[in-house]
Amino acid sequence: MPIEINHSRCIQCIGCASVCPVGAIELIGLRMVFHPEKCISCGACAKACPANAIKFFPKGEDK
Amino acid sequence: MKTDYDVIIVGAGPTGATLSRVLAQNGLEVMVFDKRKELGEPVRCGEGLGAREVVAQGIDLPKPCISTDIHGAKVIAPDGSSIVWKDKETTGWVLERKIFDKWLMEQAVHKGARVQSYTRVIDLVKNGGKISGVSVSHADHEPYEVSAPLVISAEGMESTLARKAGIRATSTLYDVDTCYQYEMQEYDHENLIELYFGNEVAPRGYVWIFPKADKKANVGIGIGAHLETGEKEGGIRGATPKEYLDKFIESHAQLKDASKLQDFGGIISVGAPIDSFVKDNFMVVGTAARQVDPIHGGGIALSMEAGVIAANTILKAHKAKDYSASLLKEYENTWRAGPGKKVAKRLLLRKVMESTSDEDFNYIFKTITEQDLNDVMAGKFAGPVAKVVAGRPQLLGNLKALVS
Repeated sequence: MPIEINHSRCIQCIGCASVCPVGAIELIGLRMVFHPEKCISCGACAKACPANAIKFFPKGEDK
Repeated sequence: MKTDYDVIIVGAGPTGATLSRVLAQNGLEVMVFDKRKELGEPVRCGEGLGAREVVAQGIDLPKPCISTDIHGAKVIAPDGSSIVWKDKETTGWVLERKIFDKWLMEQAVHKGARVQSYTRVIDLVKNGGKISGVSVSHADHEPYEVSAPLVISAEGMESTLARKAGIRATSTLYDVDTCYQYEMQEYDHENLIELYFGNEVAPRGYVWIFPKADKKANVGIGIGAHLETGEKEGGIRGATPKEYLDKFIESHAQLKDASKLQDFGGIISVGAPIDSFVKDNFMVVGTAARQVDPIHGGGIALSMEAGVIAANTILKAHKAKDYSASLLKEYENTWRAGPGKKVAKRLLLRKVMESTSDEDFNYIFKTITEQDLNDVMAGKFAGPVAKVVAGRPQLLGNLKALVS
């Protein structure tokens, strides 16, 4: 997984979804949901997240 | 259950509420879907609203929607000097957004519009290649289809549907500010919004204090989301608005001992509107189209204004039974020739501010008057620029973009 969302830190501001160029994150119900199959590992979501709730693993280093 | 309408609107914020109110008032059958469990929640903004648009639309805001009256904005330079900006834009209110959003939508329902909360739009439905409706899921239950000859994205920053319609609606990191905000208490204020600028305080952004009732205030920050101001989870560098905000509060005589009642955050657009607002049978209106002020990131008034402009075009399209892009384009042209012009000037100003050092910012603030600041915000740059450049000619290189 290129990213890991820390749901206890997340404030559902949808900032990550607004800057994701491929629509790989969306708010469903009361939770941000990540679609790994769409992710291009650009890190924009993690860089922009105001709550520092997204842990980003650069390509090749993901677990 | 009724599953066909004249217009489907996605998003029940100020844009969707305004659009659906005007359309329903004129006899159209309108359905509004919102994915939130309760309209108005969660609040993601400073909650400021200028009175101009509310007055223009003849809306009588009831008391519970308003937290406090605002009489102007105090703009504070990096060295602490300040100028008060007072005009039609800064006379208004700090809202209770939670109550306001819901109330505004209720006004549309009174006129005959329908709204359904906790309903996620899964996809666009197409018929013979043409957009003919949406598939939705209510409370995560079995999806079903709803049809209409016109689907409108009024979804705000996320703009999922606009992307599905093939409109480029993603913001780059450079075009947005990433924001963190607290609702705080107690804060003595003078019914002025306070805006603090400076690269130390808020790189490529600002700190705001929006006063609220009962000595409360929304204290927030937006900084350029492209900036790598600190280390983030996983070790990469990125923007860290919360760290800057906490630092600001620590250094603020009154706020450092104040309490925090709520945390919120978000992303605001400070870039240009998207390239295209319409497609056949499809429109993007409000913040989803990045119809947002690039200086302060405010979107409520612009969204309400765009809602009326879009509604006027839709009424014509409905009458002609023609929802082609060529007819819907009238809305886009009207917006770009009207509010779009002001937004374009504000974007120019934002880019100039971005390349102005703290020291130059301080100098500009010592040189210009309240009237000059009002002129600048009204897009009349020539006078104030001439004054600043007369005393500091080296600033011409930076400021000439405003007057050429």
